[in-house]
Amino acid sequence: MRVVAPVSRTAFTEFAEIVALDEADFSQVNTRSSIKQFLFPATEPILSYSLEQSNVKLECEEPPEPRKTVIIGSRPCDAASLPILDKLFSWDCEDRFYLNRRSATVVISIACTDCDDCCFCTAIGLGPDSKQGSDLLLVPGESGCYNAEPCTERGAELVKQHEKLFTQSAAPASVCKAVLEKLPKPLNLDRIANWLRGHFYDDFWQAASLKCVGCGCCTFLCPTCHCFDITDEHGRYRDGRRAGLRRKNWDSCQFAQFTLHASGHNPRPDRASRWRQRMMHKFLYYPERFGSRLCTGCGRCVRSCPVQMDIRDQLKAIESAQADDDQHLQA
Amino acid sequence: MIDQLRQRARELLTTGEAACIIGYADASVPGKATPIVITRAEDADRLVFHAACCNNLAAYLTRPEIRKLGTVAMVAKPADVRAAFVLMQENQVRPDDVKFIAVDVTPAGECTLLAQRTREELLDYLVKNVPPAELADDALKDVAALEEQKDGERWHYWQQQFSRCIRCYACRQVCPLCYCSRCVADKNRPQWIETSAHGRGNLAWNITRAFHLAGRCVGCGECERACPAGIPLMKLNRKLAKDVRDSFGGHAAGYAFSGEQLFAGYSPSDPNDFFE
Repeated sequence: MRVVAPVSRTAFTEFAEIVALDEADFSQVNTRSSIKQFLFPATEPILSYSLEQSNVKLECEEPPEPRKTVIIGSRPCDAASLPILDKLFSWDCEDRFYLNRRSATVVISIACTDCDDCCFCTAIGLGPDSKQGSDLLLVPGESGCYNAEPCTERGAELVKQHEKLFTQSAAPASVCKAVLEKLPKPLNLDRIANWLRGHFYDDFWQAASLKCVGCGCCTFLCPTCHCFDITDEHGRYRDGRRAGLRRKNWDSCQFAQFTLHASGHNPRPDRASRWRQRMMHKFLYYPERFGSRLCTGCGRCVRSCPVQMDIRDQLKAIESAQADDDQHLQA
Repeated sequence: MIDQLRQRARELLTTGEAACIIGYADASVPGKATPIVITRAEDADRLVFHAACCNNLAAYLTRPEIRKLGTVAMVAKPADVRAAFVLMQENQVRPDDVKFIAVDVTPAGECTLLAQRTREELLDYLVKNVPPAELADDALKDVAALEEQKDGERWHYWQQQFSRCIRCYACRQVCPLCYCSRCVADKNRPQWIETSAHGRGNLAWNITRAFHLAGRCVGCGECERACPAGIPLMKLNRKLAKDVRDSFGGHAAGYAFSGEQLFAGYSPSDPNDFFE
């Protein structure tokens, strides 16, 4: 069993295993990378194999028993990524690597009393005290205590098991009004989806992506991005036999090779088509298929982008473009 | 200063000397700047220049979408001019296809528009006034500290640093000198560098990139700034720049826009005394 919490050991605040509560730093707006890494790590072996002449012997096809993990101090935006990823990883195939870790993980989130220039959870339908994905939500109160709100059966069970640590609260704590005032107004996601549906071919994409350098910062730090690459690492020896490992690694639709076919054809051959894919997947394709946007407004993509691509600007531009269109239709 | 910069941009576009200007605009996040490409003189008012304008815009010179636009005028800090010069020297960019709107920030934080415009004038200015910042005594202090460590300590240090690498390739994508259309890390027939974000793969990637930049890195520091994992990439780049300087007669990248490259040329008379 391990407990992971935000720690500020280096220049960035990141999730790490702690053995004492004072190692944790709950004062920062958010961690640099998300809790995704505990359920869907950047790299993991999915099977190993060895070769005996021309016979392939598969080993370790079943994922190893995951460590029971308590995540404490995740923000509501990170927690909200879990129901999104749950649907994806149990859609056409049950991804046992993710699902086993998911059932072995308890999420205790802490509501936000502050935000920074990049946060936008309220713009996409969430909030600083959202319960989605959390087992237990701790809402900071006036007196330095937290109000514990169970969000799932597991959360309720956790509170029951440790009754002595909790006292009945007289009044529910409410999140500082101050942070709600700083956060942006909701976007009309339906309107955005409508524009996207009708504008696969549009000059917008070239202009919107011109400064993008095509790295994987946005996708890798995003709590909901989930694309992966399967790669074989051959060339090892085990018990005198040639052996190797098959791994599942984070991949990014922003990389040039992401959709490169074995034939040499690439249906997304340029920056514009790859940027379009990001916007489409998050705000049209995923919502159409699974009923929710593929974004929790954590703002990491904005915070980490080396060239300040700002998904919020693009969403606003798209929303008002569609609003204009809608007006014309009505008139 | 900013009015003069915008005026110069307008002139370049109106006269047709440049088809586009690559510069900086204010980002939506307060205090930050973002690269911008403008093709119309009336958009010149969006251009800004201040201390937060850190991107090395020479990275856009090798982009097909930018090349297609025609002659580029780029707002360029000294390191960015150097980067453009290396690209010219390496035949990646035709010298006449790039014009410069050269800028600098004084140690006091004052932003200036340089009077020098042509590449000859700028080369002269750089050689006389702008020694390589990555080789300044101050800049090499942490390199010296690492050099003093015993081999095991240094290896352990870098293993720890690279363990945080997630292989997002932000370092590569923001670098003007990483322009290969198919990077060695992306090749898989055969594969040279494991793509997985484990210790072995990360070490191979980061060390290979540092070596590929030796003698070519202009010390802009964008790789380190862009790294979402906070890896001190410039320590490695500065170390290699120092080794190149010390081993190759004081060479620093970007102080020539033509002529022989340091590592890409071969002559039978090259010294061979390291072969025993």
